Amino acid sequence: MRGASLIIVRLGLLAAVLLLWEALPRLGLVNAMLLPPLSDVLAALVHILGRGDVHASLGVTAAEVVVAFVIAVPLGAALGILAAENAYFGDIFKPMLFYVFSVPKSIFLSMFILAFGIGFPQKVAYAAFSTIFIVIMSASAAVESVKAEHLLVARSYGATQAQILRRVYIPSMLPILLEALRISMIFNFTGVMIAEMYASRVGIGRLIADWGENFEMAKLLAGVILLAAAAMAFNEAVRSLEARCSTWRT
Amino acid sequence: MQHVANVTGTRTDARAAVEVRGLSHVYAGRDGAVPALEAIDMKVPAGRFVVIVGPSGCGKTSLLMMLAGLRAQSSGAILVDGRPIDRPDPSRVGVVFQEASLYPWLTAVENVEFPLVLKHAPRAERRARAEAMLKLVGLDGFGARHPHELSGGMKQRVSIARGLVQDPPVLLMDEPFAALDEQTRMTMGHELLRIWEQTSKTVVFITHSLTEAVYLADEVLVMSARPGRILDRITVDLPRPRTYQMMATEEFGALRERIWQQIRTAP
Amino acid sequence: MNWPTPRTVRRLIGVMILVLWEAIPRLGILPELFIPPLTKTLHVLWLDRAIYAAALFVTVYEVAVAMLIACGAGILIGSVVGGVAGIRRLMLPVFSSLYAVPIVILYPVFTAWFGIGSESKIVFAGVYGFFPVMLSTAAGIRTIDEQYLLAARSMGASLPQLIVRVIIPASIPTVLAGLRLGGALTIIGVVVSEMLTSANGIGYLVTKNRTTLDSPRVFAAIIVILTLSVVYDIAVRFIERRTLVWQTAGRRAGGPETARVALPAQAAA
Repeated sequence: MRGASLIIVRLGLLAAVLLLWEALPRLGLVNAMLLPPLSDVLAALVHILGRGDVHASLGVTAAEVVVAFVIAVPLGAALGILAAENAYFGDIFKPMLFYVFSVPKSIFLSMFILAFGIGFPQKVAYAAFSTIFIVIMSASAAVESVKAEHLLVARSYGATQAQILRRVYIPSMLPILLEALRISMIFNFTGVMIAEMYASRVGIGRLIADWGENFEMAKLLAGVILLAAAAMAFNEAVRSLEARCSTWRT
Repeated sequence: MQHVANVTGTRTDARAAVEVRGLSHVYAGRDGAVPALEAIDMKVPAGRFVVIVGPSGCGKTSLLMMLAGLRAQSSGAILVDGRPIDRPDPSRVGVVFQEASLYPWLTAVENVEFPLVLKHAPRAERRARAEAMLKLVGLDGFGARHPHELSGGMKQRVSIARGLVQDPPVLLMDEPFAALDEQTRMTMGHELLRIWEQTSKTVVFITHSLTEAVYLADEVLVMSARPGRILDRITVDLPRPRTYQMMATEEFGALRERIWQQIRTAP
Repeated sequence: MNWPTPRTVRRLIGVMILVLWEAIPRLGILPELFIPPLTKTLHVLWLDRAIYAAALFVTVYEVAVAMLIACGAGILIGSVVGGVAGIRRLMLPVFSSLYAVPIVILYPVFTAWFGIGSESKIVFAGVYGFFPVMLSTAAGIRTIDEQYLLAARSMGASLPQLIVRVIIPASIPTVLAGLRLGGALTIIGVVVSEMLTSANGIGYLVTKNRTTLDSPRVFAAIIVILTLSVVYDIAVRFIERRTLVWQTAGRRAGGPETARVALPAQAAA
C-alpha cells in the first residue's frame, strides 16, 4: 500500500468509527445516556469552548503544566547529565531509576496533599515529581549517545571544551533531547491530570471528573476529546521538529 | 585458452544433478522493472563442486535462493535431480546460509534434527541420524551445547550437518564462511572438502573470495555485476585432495588472476 | 581513597531513608501530619492488618484480571500489528499518536459506564496496560531474525510449523518483556483508579485515610502498595533469569536502542 492510499484507508476507518458513534446511540443499540451520539458530543464541545469557566480551568491547567515542566526539565537534565558524566554517581542511581518507573507514583500524591494542602503548589510539585525521573533518564541517555569516537576525533584535533560542546554534543544530542522533551511532556500532562482529578477545586481535570460524577456524558466526552486533541497536537508538533533534526540518524 | 567448459561433455552417463536453462529474473523496483539475472545456463554433474563467484549485488544469492526453491524466477527452468524445483525440497536440496541461523533455544543436536522434526520422523531415528551428522562434521560430543556456547566455525559446522541430515544429493551454500575470520575460513574450507569427499554430494557454493573459489572448486562460474550473467566457466584442474601448499603455486595464482580479470573487465 | 561500591551506597541510602523516616518526625523537624514515624506506621498496619489484607485482596484480584486483558490482548494484537506488514504500516502510526494522550482522562468515562466497583478499575487498568504492551510486542516481533524463517522454509516447513516451531519460540523474549511491562502498568492503573473513585482496594484506603488526615494509615497503605510493586518486580526478574537461554532467542543484535524504547507514558502515574 502506498502513502496516499494508507491515508485514505485510515480516514475511512475513522469515518466508520465516527459513523458508529453517531448511529449506535441513536438507534438505541447503545444506551444514549452513557454514550451520547457524536453530534451531541460535538455540540457540547462547541458549548464548553465558549464558556468562561472552562477557559479559566484550561488556563489553570496550562499554568500548572508549564510551571511543572519548567521546574522538572532543567533539574532533571542537570541530574541526568551528572549521572552520565560521573560514572560513580550514575552507577549508584541508575538501577534505582528503573525501579522507580514500576512504582505507582500516584500514591505519593497523598503525601503532597498532606504537605501542601490542595492548591497550585501541590499540583505543580506532584507533576514535577512525576516528570523529573524520565527527564533524568532521557538526559543521561542523550549524553551517553554521543559516540566516544566523535569526541575522540574532536579532541585529537585540539578542540576546546566549548567547541566540543557546541559542535559535537549538541548536534548529536538534539534529536534525542527533542524526543525526551516530548515524552516528558506526556508524563507531565498525565501528572497534572491525576492531581487535578484527585483533589483539586480548579482545572480542567476537575471539571471533567465533575461532569463524570454528574453523568453529564456529552460534556465529559467533549472534554476528553479536547484534551486528547491538545495532547496529540503537541506531540505531533514536536515529532515533526524531531524528524527535521534527525535526517542524519540511521 | 578459455575452457568454456560444457562440463557434461566430459562424462557420458552423468545426468546433471543441477541444471539451469535460460533462467532470467526481473523484479519490480521503485522506478520500474529491474533485470537481476540474465540468461543463466548451468549444468552441474553429480558429485561436482561448483563455485559461483561474482561482485556484490550480482544476483548470486538470488540464484541460489531459486535453486533452493525459496524464490521463483521470472523465466527459465531449474531442474534438480532431473525434476523441476519450485518449492523447498530438503530431501533433494540442503541449504547452508551465511548466518548460521541456528535456533538459539535448541541444542546443537536438536538444531541438526530440526528438518526431521518437521517431517515427523520418529524420535530415535532422527536423533541417531543427527548424531551421525554431527560426527561427520567433527562435532562428536558437542550435541548438547547451545549455539551461544559454540564458536563461529562450530556453528557453521552444525549448519552443514543440518543441511546434510536428510541426505540430499545437492548441497547449496551461500557464502557460509563469510562471517568467519580468515584462519577459521581456511580450516573450514579444508573440512568442507573432507566432508564432501566422504559424502559425494553435489555442491554449489557461493563466495566473494577468489582464493576460496579456486581452492575448493572443480569448476568456477564467474558472474558479472547486475544484471548477473555467466561470464566464464573455468575448470580447476588442481589435483585432489587439495592442500594449503597449492595456494602458493603459479597455477593457483594464474587461475585467481583469470577470475579477477573477468570480473574487473566485464562490461 | 577507596570509594564504596555503588551497591553498598544504595544499601546505605536505603538504610538512611529508613532512619530518617523514623527520626525526622520524632525530632519534630517535620510535622507528623506530613510524615509519621516509620514505627508508628508499621504499628497501625499491624493493628489493621485484616482491613489491609482484605483491601489488598481486592486490589490483587483487579490487577490479575486487568493483566490478563492488557497482556493477553496486547500480545495478541501486537503480534498481528507488528507481524503483518500491511496492518503495521496502517495502524502503527495511529497507535503511536494515540499514546500521547493521558489515559487517566478516560477514567471518569469508565466510572460512569461501569460504576465505582471493580469492573471500572479492571477495564481502566486493562486499557492502561494494553497500549504499551501492544506497541512493545509489535516492535519486538520485528526483531525476530528473518534468517530463522528463511532457514525453516528451506527445510520445507509448512506455515503452521513455521508459527509453532520458529515464531513462537523466537517471540518469547518479546512476550516476557510485554508481561513485565503490562504487569507493572496494570498495578499502576489499578492503584490510580482506586485512589480516584472507589469503595474498595488499597488505593481507596489511601484516599479515605487522607481525607480523615490519618497519616499513619495513609503511609501504611503506601507501604503495602510499594511492597506489591517490589514483589512483582522480583518475581518477574526471577522468571527472566530462569529463561536466559530464550532471552537471546530470535534477536538480531539489539543493543542500547531496544532498551531505550521501552518507557511508556503510562509509567508517569
